[in-house]
Amino acid sequence: MEAIASIAPEVIETTPSVSNTVPKLISGSEALMMGLVAEGVDTIFGYPGGAIMPVYDALYDYQDRINHILVRHEQGAGHAAQGYARMQSRAGVCLVTSGPGATNLVTAIADAQIDSTPMVCIVGQVAKRLLGTDAFQEADVMGVTMPITKWNYQITNADEVPEILSKAFYIAQSGRPGPVLIDMTKSAQLELMTKPFVYERCQSIISYRPRRIPKQEQVEVAARLINNAKRPYVLVGHGVQIAKAEDELRLFVEKTGIPVATTLLGQSTISTDHPLYVGWLGMHGNYGPNVMTDQADVIIAIGMRFDDRVTGDASKYIKQAKVVHIEIDPSEIDKIIRADAPVVGDAKEALKALTALVEPNDHTIWRNEFRKYDTIEYEQITLPELTSTEGKIRMAEVIDMLSKKTNGEAVLVTDVGQHQMMASRYYQFRRPNSLVTSGGMGTMGFALPAAFGAQVGAPDRQIVAIIGDGCFQMTLQELGTIVQNKQPVKAIILNNNFLGMVRQWQQLFHERRYSFVELQNPDFITIARGFGMDGQTCDKRESLSDALDTMLNHDGPFLLEVIVEKEENVFPMVPAGTSVAQIRLK
Amino acid sequence: MTTYTICIFTENTIGLLNRITIIFTRRRINIESLTVSETERKGVSRFTIVIKHESREEVEKLVRQIRKIVEVLAVFGYLNEEIVYNEIALFKVSTPLGSKPLDVETINQQYKAWVVYWGLDYVVIEKTGNDTEIFEFFGYIKQYDILEFVRSGRVAVGKTEKGLVEYLPESEWAYYL
Ligand SMILES: Cc1ncc(C[n+]2csc(CCOP(=O)(O)OP(=O)(O)O)c2C)c(N)n1
Repeated sequence: MEAIASIAPEVIETTPSVSNTVPKLISGSEALMMGLVAEGVDTIFGYPGGAIMPVYDALYDYQDRINHILVRHEQGAGHAAQGYARMQSRAGVCLVTSGPGATNLVTAIADAQIDSTPMVCIVGQVAKRLLGTDAFQEADVMGVTMPITKWNYQITNADEVPEILSKAFYIAQSGRPGPVLIDMTKSAQLELMTKPFVYERCQSIISYRPRRIPKQEQVEVAARLINNAKRPYVLVGHGVQIAKAEDELRLFVEKTGIPVATTLLGQSTISTDHPLYVGWLGMHGNYGPNVMTDQADVIIAIGMRFDDRVTGDASKYIKQAKVVHIEIDPSEIDKIIRADAPVVGDAKEALKALTALVEPNDHTIWRNEFRKYDTIEYEQITLPELTSTEGKIRMAEVIDMLSKKTNGEAVLVTDVGQHQMMASRYYQFRRPNSLVTSGGMGTMGFALPAAFGAQVGAPDRQIVAIIGDGCFQMTLQELGTIVQNKQPVKAIILNNNFLGMVRQWQQLFHERRYSFVELQNPDFITIARGFGMDGQTCDKRESLSDALDTMLNHDGPFLLEVIVEKEENVFPMVPAGTSVAQIRLK
Repeated sequence: MTTYTICIFTENTIGLLNRITIIFTRRRINIESLTVSETERKGVSRFTIVIKHESREEVEKLVRQIRKIVEVLAVFGYLNEEIVYNEIALFKVSTPLGSKPLDVETINQQYKAWVVYWGLDYVVIEKTGNDTEIFEFFGYIKQYDILEFVRSGRVAVGKTEKGLVEYLPESEWAYYL
């Protein structure tokens, strides 16, 4: 344990050298503030309420050190913290009240859990004597969040605060990151600690020991497989960016000449114009990368978990290939796909070790095989989508133009639906860590608050949210948060007046029975103006370029609504439950 | 269906039982029996959970998911032949005046069961053993009127030389994998 007493000057009063001063005992709430400062927390996303008021009271004195951002709904706090965490590569912090405050946060917690986003949620709880009595705003938040947190803990006395808080940050940020929740009773917030406040940053937990450095034997087995492979193929997931191993990945593939595909969350790990990058995998991923998984003899899966959106029918997936699986979370090994060479460890460490052992290879012929599928996809899908002159604007055109205007250097924060898939398909990512999206959970309403959080976490980057008209209406109240905090978030609504993705499925698999997917939409720009945000609608192809320029050049936040083709479909598509080789082009 | 005994060593904290059983529930695996107690190490609890499953692979996955819980120190999955295990059962048997007298000698010698309490018109018999032995005894004793019957969860120790607790957080021990 590394003591960091220096961060909390108040502690000095309690040292024996100032012998005749009585130690100043502090409340649980103040201890929480001091602990957050000790952890280097500078931003909290939150919403007050009865059962967290003592903490808010203590926060009043810490405003110069901790920037608290008042969101409009606790789900927004959670997603904002996720966006912030993705940009900062450390835990986002949420502060909410008991009962409804906590339950409103649940969606974001589940989202963070499945996408491995570090988050520390501090939740108020009724006083200890009221626990279990169905008191006002009491909810069993421990029980509710147990299956969707990496760890949770109920603090019932003030003395526990420093140790539990440091554990929370350690668990959230180490190994496979994830959300942790601290449920803190009001009594613990109010009562005084009985001992002096000392904060030690947690460095290890006896029962929790993530393995960062992989075992050399495992790396050797993997290297042998890779060196003997004729048609090796690298599949990259979110884990590589979490480990900040983008450079190590590049060096590894450049040395070996192996083609690389990414999952949805793995996108932007490697620049889309890198000669070894072949595209993205999964249900709406590119044609070649999906089909070619069936041709590879060795699959090197790095920081990915073979989600069913990637594998299609897992029983038919990569049966022909030997699998190297690099993963920090050992419970992912063999969970869906059996690994012939598991490498348990941090992607950065594993790739370093592996790169040292692999031999340079010429896989040009194998790599070129991907290109013929690229051509088919380009001719049958991409080109028509980008060059159509009839009908309404297509989603693809908007993203393509945005990509060009921003040089592929913006951070895209997308919501969930067709626009999400189109954003992924058509944005040419040049910089790492440039796609923030709800992958595992597919949470509508994610983008607007997450874009806000991402902007707070990365003030120097251009953040553009891509949002569907349905999704926007789930968290649009966060426009208020954006305006109040003067964050220059740019948001594009791709408005097709439909819950487009559901409509697509109904068209393809339910005989066009469009059951409750058409929306009567409000005037989004008037709404934005009501919140004090500028905006504009664009529904003509000719004015799209100007509209995007206006948005990008605007000083401050901006909402651009683009009226797009109503019944457009996202292809390619691997229909749910089929094998990836059955990917459809139409 | 094969019987597996899962031994889980954990820190002794509130709510852990819940966290562990959720993992079984989510995978739709039924818990046949469950026993929890503190071990010889202070603050370390041991769960012994018995399940039945067709697929060893699924059980291995389950074990890894349990291992993922932060407070879990170690998890071991065993087949029956890899452990020494027992349960304890209590039979409350009616013995009113004039009824057929109990054959205590057979109970003791043949079934290794013991009368542990004499009530006014009933006795309580304790039988330890595995489930087959307990049900054999059940078969025998049911000729008398059984008023109550209760069986504990399984307790088990591995057949390896060292107590498994020795494998707890020693530096070498990192992963089940
Ligand atoms: C909270 C939530 N509810 C429902 C869904 C199911 N769902 C997935 S995509 C989608 C439609 C999204 O519509 P829209 O935001 O208009 O985007 P589009 O697909 O038209 O681009 C729905 C309803 C979901 N993912 N999340």
